[in-house]
Amino acid sequence: MLEKQNIQSRDFKNVLEGGEIVGFQIPFRATYYRGLWLTQLRPATVTVDGEKFEGNQITWTINGKKYEQVELANYPDVNWNIQDLAIFTVRKPGGLKLGLHDIEVQFHFSASYLPPRMDTGLFQNTFNRRLVLIG
Amino acid sequence: MKFSRKDFLKASAGMAAFAAIPGKSAFASSTVADINVPKPVSNGKPKRGISLYSYKNDLYTSMTLEDCLADMSSMGAYGLEILANGHVKDYPNPTDEWVEYWYSLLNKYSIIPVEYGHWVDSRLHEGRELTTKESYDSLVRDIKVAHKLGFTVMRTKLGVIDEKLTPVKNWQEFIKMALPVAQEHNVVMCPEIHQPTALKSEMVDEYVEFIEKNNTKNFGLNIDFGVFQSKENMMRIPGIEIEPSKPEDLIPLIPYIYCCHAKFANMTDDLVEETHPYEEIIKVLVDQKYDGYMMSEYEGDDHNEIPGYVPDQLRRQHLMMKRYLGEV
Repeated sequence: MLEKQNIQSRDFKNVLEGGEIVGFQIPFRATYYRGLWLTQLRPATVTVDGEKFEGNQITWTINGKKYEQVELANYPDVNWNIQDLAIFTVRKPGGLKLGLHDIEVQFHFSASYLPPRMDTGLFQNTFNRRLVLIG
Repeated sequence: MKFSRKDFLKASAGMAAFAAIPGKSAFASSTVADINVPKPVSNGKPKRGISLYSYKNDLYTSMTLEDCLADMSSMGAYGLEILANGHVKDYPNPTDEWVEYWYSLLNKYSIIPVEYGHWVDSRLHEGRELTTKESYDSLVRDIKVAHKLGFTVMRTKLGVIDEKLTPVKNWQEFIKMALPVAQEHNVVMCPEIHQPTALKSEMVDEYVEFIEKNNTKNFGLNIDFGVFQSKENMMRIPGIEIEPSKPEDLIPLIPYIYCCHAKFANMTDDLVEETHPYEEIIKVLVDQKYDGYMMSEYEGDDHNEIPGYVPDQLRRQHLMMKRYLGEV
């Protein structure tokens, strides 16, 4: 089963590519009550120990498929189910140091059944957790 | 590898064709004829059920789908509502294996698939509304998944255009287009009447007029009991005057109601719900021989820190409803 918090500790780790650490990843679950089409998502930002990452520094991986943030708007038929994690992969050469980190994830999504004024604004959009990176 | 939208669609179509090869699976993807599909009870009485929405704090973190169905069964709350894009694995394309698992769970716990919650997300694309054809396609996709999973009622949530929750302007067009598909798949699409909308309102009149004009049994109403909530507990929207509906306002609508949301916020230790007039609501439904389900929808304080808090609230509510229904 998933952890209660949105930001998951299992598989929070640095990412290796060709023997080099190219960044880190944060598994994340939506605590909204329904899944979301990728076009309903708005770009996320990730902040670790005060350092902010955004735009093309972040990719989303959902059900094993990786999406650049600008590509999310091209997938109205792909659903991010609340049973499944999205993995944020953040580009940061050298990755994060081992030990504790304060993480913040922020993103918005559209909800058509709410008045247009509240389209992306009603639900929680900032999530925090302190996690330990062990590798 | 970069994957364009066109490639994606091509790959999806290829997978669908593969899945349709006869004999590839014990479960044919287009029919549910060879499995036992539990059917809603029709006995001229209101019946108890639960929307899985109620379990949102426990589901997938301290309870599995099976745990929730077992919990419902233990309360005698056999009617089930799901929210398709939260509860159907791999929605909108559940695998045959998952569908088989789904029916095995329903049959194991005597759970009846009653209502399938889904959305026509009018703002699916940033900056524009869905066209009529796109909305229709979205409806058809859900009608097929609902039918595949044995549901007969759909809670069809429409996109809205203002603070009063007025549905998108073209709703009649795409709903009308989908009526034959709904009929073919034996489902009734029901918008949810939810506060701040009142039962006596232009919006409800318009829905009823549409049903009458089209003489259809494939479009109806889902009533959320929140419309009866005491005024001081209702949502506050600047510039909008909300008056609670009265339980007797249900009477002229009974022929059009296929499902209700038994909204509740807090069950006390005396086993009453103080903000919704449950005794009066259920009396009207019993007197009018309402033949559908009441799906519990817990919408009180989260108490996310206490696993099992909501299942306890549900038990309290179901004992209250059993009493008002004369089951005990």
